[in-house]
Amino acid sequence: MTDLATHSGKRLDYPISKFARRGGLQAGQQRIGLLMLLPAAIAFALVILYPFLQALGLSLFRDTLETTTPIFIGLANFRTILSSEEVWESFGLTVVYVGCSTLGTLLLGLGWALILNQPFRGRGVLRALTLMPWVVPSTVSAFIWAWIFNSRFGVINGLLLELHLISVPQAWLSTPEGAMLAVILTRIWRSIPLFMAFFLAGLQNVDGEQLDAARVDGANNFAILRDHILPHLRPVLIVVVVLGVIGGLQDFDTIYALTGGGPVRATAVLSVEVYRKAFEQWDIGTASAIGVLWVATLLPPAYFYLRMLVKGR
Amino acid sequence: MFDLSSTGAKLVFGILLALIGFYLFFPIYWMVISSLKDNTELYQVIPSFFPQHFSLAHFWSAIAESKLGLYLLNSLIVSGCSALINTVLALYAGFSFAKYRYFGRQPIMLFMLSAQMFPFGLLLISLYPVMTNFGLLDTRPGLILSYIVFALPVATYMLYSYFSQVPDELIDAARADGASDLRIFHTIVVPISIPPIVTVFLYSFMWSWNDLLYSMTLIVSDDKRTIGPGLLLTYLNETNADWGGAMAASLLVSAPIVIAFIFLQRYFIQGVTAGAVK
Repeated sequence: MTDLATHSGKRLDYPISKFARRGGLQAGQQRIGLLMLLPAAIAFALVILYPFLQALGLSLFRDTLETTTPIFIGLANFRTILSSEEVWESFGLTVVYVGCSTLGTLLLGLGWALILNQPFRGRGVLRALTLMPWVVPSTVSAFIWAWIFNSRFGVINGLLLELHLISVPQAWLSTPEGAMLAVILTRIWRSIPLFMAFFLAGLQNVDGEQLDAARVDGANNFAILRDHILPHLRPVLIVVVVLGVIGGLQDFDTIYALTGGGPVRATAVLSVEVYRKAFEQWDIGTASAIGVLWVATLLPPAYFYLRMLVKGR
Repeated sequence: MFDLSSTGAKLVFGILLALIGFYLFFPIYWMVISSLKDNTELYQVIPSFFPQHFSLAHFWSAIAESKLGLYLLNSLIVSGCSALINTVLALYAGFSFAKYRYFGRQPIMLFMLSAQMFPFGLLLISLYPVMTNFGLLDTRPGLILSYIVFALPVATYMLYSYFSQVPDELIDAARADGASDLRIFHTIVVPISIPPIVTVFLYSFMWSWNDLLYSMTLIVSDDKRTIGPGLLLTYLNETNADWGGAMAASLLVSAPIVIAFIFLQRYFIQGVTAGAVK
């Protein structure tokens, strides 16, 4: 470090980095700060920002297998997708998928966190094991659930036949409702661990004395949950819903591996729709335009997310 | 938290524990059990909930007949490298955001974080031609670079919130001793930040390890394929699905990361939920 100071050729009272020669200590530190940011900023600009802007631009072009170079067509792609029944259907499926899976995960994740917050033997082991659905690769979770829902040898059919609730095996993944049910159940299964982790962290600092006082006043378990625990968890609840909605909107892997967006189009949410348009039909312009619609769905949760972070500082 | 001394409360607690626990763990149990059954037992309309005859045949065929080892190796290389790159980038950026004051600091940080609203699938549409132009399509470096998309913003934020809690006095004291800022960062700050660094590494690693979309699109040749698309293409063709093999391969592929996470979960959960919960 001292060689850095002499390296500058000037006599300095304190040795600091050679990037900090001019403008005194504060300007020098600013320079080091910016220097440390630089690698990440370059990576961000090249791999995230540039492709994003490029894709926004592509939505204004006709760019299909038949065009040699993209042709500028203004907002025509948007007119096409906004009048397309398929796109609106995909939008509706996305709302159902994200809505049901977020709500389901919220209820079960909260329930599971409340259970694992009670002291009982084996709790630590259960907490650790709960992470499993979250960390298995998405293809693996799709395999597991596809096998569970299998039309001929699936365990769900087996159970329902055994209980005489159905008389013939059902082809779950071949019906629109069954396929949607399967992708939602898989999504909820994968997300419970993360939701639970957030809720458990939020439950750490519940004031136990306050609960004891309420109990002395005659509050039962339900009243304690309603009047003390849930209000305490409100901020965490908001975080979890926002992150859940963003994650659901971004989700592609399990749906694609489980149903491929089918049967026909029954589980083709926006992420799958964009992929099919871009990489199966190579209609890049239309795919980008649907992608812009997809960005629009992500804007509200992203706004809440950023606002929380700013407020939290 | 709740008073479970009454029988009713115990009953409700027990039922909820059993139901949610069943939902969470039965699929895992079913994967394990199915991988251990022989084919006659596996393909029954009413399945057995405990295998009558244990058989390791599916494991042998998964190891011998598929390219599972190759896919695993590819995933390990790609995920390891991308996690390393992400962690290093996020390390410097997070420290910069936390400890330096310069014009545009907070807007830049928020802008980077807002990348969560850029759909991954949309970015892929233009990453694909970019990778083609640079000759990176169907290469491991191309995939490694693309994985910056998933984890860099959140990884930066996670390290930023950790570094914000490192006392300024520590850094100022080292400065007074004459250490340069980069040296302070490398010799004082990084060594006390190993747990969050591990968390961020694992976080980035998991994103790449789990990915199907990017790997499936940006890698074409079979010998560079990672486990996500590799498993999908090996075991799930409409006509002939080998479910026993699929379950055995799933188990083999999941085991290393599940074990790693179970051991490191404490760090991990703290890191991921940090900043959101106070």
